[in-house]
Amino acid sequence: MAGPVLELRNLNKEIPRAGTDPFVIFKNINLSVRDGEFVSIVGPSGCGKTTLLRVINGLLPNSGGDIYIDGKKASEVEHELLMGFVFQGASLLPWRTSLKNILLGLEADNHSNKESESTARKFLELVGLAGFENHYPHELSGGMQQRVNLARALAINPRILLMDEPFAALDAQTRNFMQLELLRIWAQTKKTVIFVTHMISEAILLSDRVIVFSHRPGTIRSEFQVPLPRPRSMEVRSDPRFVELENIVWKQIEEEVNATGGFAKL
Amino acid sequence: MHPNRTLSPFVLKTISVITGLVGWQIISDVLIRDTSLIVSPLVVAQTSYEMLFVTGEIYPHLFASSWIFFYGFVLAIVIGAALGFLMALSPVVRDYVNPWMATLYTTPRIAFAPMLLLWFGIGGGSKVAIVFLGCVFPILINCFYGMRVVNREFVELARSFRLGSWALFFKILLPASIPFILAGIRLAVGRGLTGVAIAEWFGAQEGLGYLIFFAGQTLNIPTLFVGVAAFAVLGVLGFEAIKKIETLATPWRKGLEVGG
Repeated sequence: MAGPVLELRNLNKEIPRAGTDPFVIFKNINLSVRDGEFVSIVGPSGCGKTTLLRVINGLLPNSGGDIYIDGKKASEVEHELLMGFVFQGASLLPWRTSLKNILLGLEADNHSNKESESTARKFLELVGLAGFENHYPHELSGGMQQRVNLARALAINPRILLMDEPFAALDAQTRNFMQLELLRIWAQTKKTVIFVTHMISEAILLSDRVIVFSHRPGTIRSEFQVPLPRPRSMEVRSDPRFVELENIVWKQIEEEVNATGGFAKL
Repeated sequence: MHPNRTLSPFVLKTISVITGLVGWQIISDVLIRDTSLIVSPLVVAQTSYEMLFVTGEIYPHLFASSWIFFYGFVLAIVIGAALGFLMALSPVVRDYVNPWMATLYTTPRIAFAPMLLLWFGIGGGSKVAIVFLGCVFPILINCFYGMRVVNREFVELARSFRLGSWALFFKILLPASIPFILAGIRLAVGRGLTGVAIAEWFGAQEGLGYLIFFAGQTLNIPTLFVGVAAFAVLGVLGFEAIKKIETLATPWRKGLEVGG
């Protein structure tokens, strides 16, 4: 397909306030994401990047502008299952086993049970959890829970995968492993991914393109192509191009934070 | 390790029960020694045995009370759960029901008894109504509350999967509230039995409440104690049965419980 998978045109989100100007969360977002691209959004806390994901997914309404998916207005095709959402907390239903959690998204559709179950098993295997079908979430580690979370979002065969700081709650080591796992899974599924994170090195390691958000009201301050070949491993982090990009992005975020009154206000 | 924890909970509970019974035996045999005031657990056991296996006179009372309890309890679950869910899902229903609920919940139930007797007669109806009134509020409140505190992310998850309203209710909201609902039902057991006792005090011809009332009037102390003991046993059995259902219905909570 030639056109972009996702296109945002002048997208705004504001919350009306009685008796005063509306609270603007983000504005003038123009973004075009091509098929199979991995795009990360980084920015200071409270810049509206998580809200942007929710607006793209239709969980929140936008205030202005348009969202296009494969050239069609998102509001017109919303009932079709187009996006997988990976939440920051694993948000696994505690009363369902890992397999049944993955099945949740497939139950909304009219797949046959057998077909759904084999799909769910396939994705559990893809995220490296074959054999854990009948485990309840509390029997899994944080990293394993996020794997199930990812499998659940992928199992519905989404056009776009939206990930909202999925590894933020993990310890540093598990986080590194999960980043590599995501790279592997992404290479296998060739999904279009929009990935929100606080961690610049995570964004660079994973992405084709890194978008830097300004402080609130969030706008796109700049964007960078990541000039690193794939497949990538952890060694890529010591590549001079990686280090240089990390420094540039860090400087920009630092400026944005300072513009709002500095770190003390974070 | 704390010294208490060297004994298993079961052993501790058994010791507690035995100590209580022995204490009761000593008080009635040694300290008070007046069978017009108190009888010993051995006498209660002997009287129970006779009423259960020799004369069989307890059965009509036991059955009468059980049926009243059952009807009132089940009715309370059905109506309490339905109303609780509706209140959780609709702010309009909530605001309509709230003032009445707050009033009825805090008014002593016994105050309604003569009124209900007047309306439903001295047959089963008024008794079931009294039991119902006792059971319905803990169930209603817990169903309402349980559904209100469902993790917001679960609801977003359902919406991102484009689940419809029915699926949202049956796949997310209802299972997420089950622990609260069962806790409400567990509370309702005790309140329902209180309702049975109250109901049978007013113009009944049978039932454990009537048995206690009548035994008290005629100073039949052993029967009085047996009636109370029967209520206690029913309460414990009901409570444990609901607990058992909780474990069966929510196997995923194993390992999440604190303190066993």
